[in-house]
Amino acid sequence: MIPAPSSVQGSDKIVSITDLRFTYEGGVEAVKDLTLDIRKGDYIAVVGGNGSGKTTLAKNINGLLRPSRGTIMIRGHDASKMAVPEIAKVVGYAFQNPDYQLFCPTVEEEVRFGPSNLGYSHEDVNVKVQRALDAMNLQHLRTKPPLSLRLGERRRVTLASVIAMDPEVFIFDEPTTGLDTEESEMLMQKLRNLNAEGKTIILITHDMRLVSEHAKRVVVMSQGRVILDSDPRGAFADLDILRKSNLEPPAVTKLAHALKAYGVPVDIISPEELVFHLLRGSEG
Amino acid sequence: MVGFVDLYTEGDTFLHRMDPRVKITSVILLSILAFVLSSLEALGLLLLLIMALVVLSRTPISKTAFAFKFVFRLMVLIVILWPLFDRSGEPVIASLGPLRLTEPALLRGLTSATRIGCLATVWYILMFTTQQRDIVRALVKMGVRFDFGLTLAISLRFFPTFGATIGSIMDAQRARGLEFGRGGLLKRTRNYVAVLVPAIVSAMRTADGLSWALQSRAYGARPDRTYLRDFRMRWSDYASLMAVVLILALPLTAKLALGMDL
Repeated sequence: MIPAPSSVQGSDKIVSITDLRFTYEGGVEAVKDLTLDIRKGDYIAVVGGNGSGKTTLAKNINGLLRPSRGTIMIRGHDASKMAVPEIAKVVGYAFQNPDYQLFCPTVEEEVRFGPSNLGYSHEDVNVKVQRALDAMNLQHLRTKPPLSLRLGERRRVTLASVIAMDPEVFIFDEPTTGLDTEESEMLMQKLRNLNAEGKTIILITHDMRLVSEHAKRVVVMSQGRVILDSDPRGAFADLDILRKSNLEPPAVTKLAHALKAYGVPVDIISPEELVFHLLRGSEG
Repeated sequence: MVGFVDLYTEGDTFLHRMDPRVKITSVILLSILAFVLSSLEALGLLLLLIMALVVLSRTPISKTAFAFKFVFRLMVLIVILWPLFDRSGEPVIASLGPLRLTEPALLRGLTSATRIGCLATVWYILMFTTQQRDIVRALVKMGVRFDFGLTLAISLRFFPTFGATIGSIMDAQRARGLEFGRGGLLKRTRNYVAVLVPAIVSAMRTADGLSWALQSRAYGARPDRTYLRDFRMRWSDYASLMAVVLILALPLTAKLALGMDL
């Protein structure tokens, strides 16, 4: 395993996972000996093929699954001694499928559900709900029934309902699945805003373009283990590691790899960088 | 959850090889027998026969223990509750205030419990040794309309899926701070609304998608259908059917024609 560069973020650990192992009933070992620190302000993309253990890891972090072995510390407290709602105050988890959670008659009530469960005062809940509705551009849909909305809007409602719980860490499981480019860009911009406000983001995804454009740190999983933990640049430079976990780097990185013989560096992650290097090459 | 819906275990016993139509008929005949018999001894014998067949199906007990536990609890419950409502007869074994435990009531309780035990476990033989799709196909072969059969097959098929969906929904709501099994009645009811509404919505979306998928694969284009594998009655199937008919006919004759107390 390649250690994360120390420059990624500060050292304010929110979640600290040590030797985590999780075995499902029936014997499938979904996560093996996994050690990972999540620091304040991180924007981590957890990537890996289907069945690599990404979602199992996420569910262990927020207490929906409990480790078979190893420890998870949340803000210095042993997560195994914390109830799910207690963990939910620190780690919010937005599920992939909005239809698995929407049930209220209006968007506003839906967003209110989470913070009300956590026992915040009425005024606090109001403030948090309004902030979440603003953050996800949902004010105009406030009184609409969430189930009648389009998928992109329903997804935003589920994210708002997690944002309203005001956790420090957000886990987003494939938030852009099924969205068109515009909806997806808009959503990712919202996540970026959250990160800019100091929130920690854990993005579970297959989409390498999202990773290259948004994440500050990439955790590559394969067969229940972390096989790489680096910045996106470092992750995409290592084609072997990516292939091993059934992932493909963004097209622009692949192009850079193909142009390696012409002096183009392989750790390119945006079209602008590639153009810059090509122009510099033609001038020189 | 999955095990609760599909009790089938792969195997190669005579019960597994038996034509599903014979199995369904036999199970129905044995169920009728359980209603016909009224003595504890005869019903006990029938229960033993059923248990012997369960053993012969070689189904691992680890996979089915919960199903038997369920039946056993039900039987115990019947034995305990029966005398509470049936205080007739002599001799009285014990009495406490208005409660009386009489020997005939206890006997009737035991008899009913054994009958229920027979009725429940006899269906296990079918379910342990027959794939659900074969049960459905056999029913269609026996004259059930194909679309009813398909509806049944689809419901059975989607039970585990639906179970998994409910699990995910409960996870999603727990992640939003919902605690199941806590709070007063009103709060608990509200908690279940948070699961029921998404569950129904998901089920309806699935059903909608499924009906489109069925139509796009020309479902209903022709009333008659062909099958890849067809059922064929073999001599062993006829023999099994005969045996079961005799098992029903003999006590029935003894009881009705000869007036024996079975």
